[in-house]
Amino acid sequence: MLRGAVARTVCMAQASARTFPQRFSAETSPGHDIAAKLWGGRCLEGVRGLHVGLVSCKAEGRKEMLASMPRRDEGTEGEGTIAIDSNIRGSDGSFPDENTPDLLFDGVRFADLPIIHAKFSKNNTLLTLTDSKGVAEMFRSCGIEGFKNTRKGTNIAAQATAISLAVRAINKGVRNVRVAVKGLGPGRMSAVKGLTMGGLNVVSITDCTPIMFTNSPRPRKAKKL
Amino acid sequence: MGFRTHAQFVARTVLVKNNNVDEGMRVINRIMSKEGLFERYRLTRFYEKPYQTRRRINYEKAKAIYNEDMNRKIQFVMRKNRHDPWVGCA
Repeated sequence: MLRGAVARTVCMAQASARTFPQRFSAETSPGHDIAAKLWGGRCLEGVRGLHVGLVSCKAEGRKEMLASMPRRDEGTEGEGTIAIDSNIRGSDGSFPDENTPDLLFDGVRFADLPIIHAKFSKNNTLLTLTDSKGVAEMFRSCGIEGFKNTRKGTNIAAQATAISLAVRAINKGVRNVRVAVKGLGPGRMSAVKGLTMGGLNVVSITDCTPIMFTNSPRPRKAKKL
Repeated sequence: MGFRTHAQFVARTVLVKNNNVDEGMRVINRIMSKEGLFERYRLTRFYEKPYQTRRRINYEKAKAIYNEDMNRKIQFVMRKNRHDPWVGCA
């Protein structure tokens, strides 16, 4: 009896799949049977394949229902999921790896490139050109550059200083440099920009800001307002 | 030369492409501020007295709670597909 019922269902399914598209295409869209195809597909879906159990069908339906629902409230943001910066994920060689020290820039290893140490304080910008060992070769600051008093602590002063250092460095035969920036000051962005404007080729930017964590010595007394 | 905790020019470093330093600085600044390093630097430049720490932490807690609730409220008002379309109309 069961077998008979199964056979009947299959027959019906086939029949409906055959008849529906024909009728539909004849009525509405001759020569264009996308709608008909859709119709046929939906008919077969409605019958439900014999090998697919009722339970799995239910699961499918539930999955669809859940997908259409808004996302569940997760409570505190970041508790369950961690946002990963897209830039970090697809790093595409913008961050150093184990081969970076051996990269060649005009025939010089990355690890042997001269370094520009840039210190940005609230009131001044100090730029020092050193070789790869850290031996100082050249020093410029906003004060040397002719900016005095409050004018030292501006991004324009920092840029002018950087351009002047870059020009002098090029005269000395330096082309590619690594930059190590330290501190948060007004010239932080513009000084590095100024180095390139002066003609230097900046290969990498490193942040060397001294950041204290635990077990640090007690910092100085806060300023009175 | 003092002892260094991190390898130099490996930690906190971006390689600049085509001399595009603006982009490089932006990347490094964004990552560092996202990790809270700038905040840490700012906080440890001067000694913070315990009463100041307490006040700051309490303020941050209150602000976080307010922001969380406010964000949830905004999300609720803005969402279109609701679990219960007739909220409060039992």
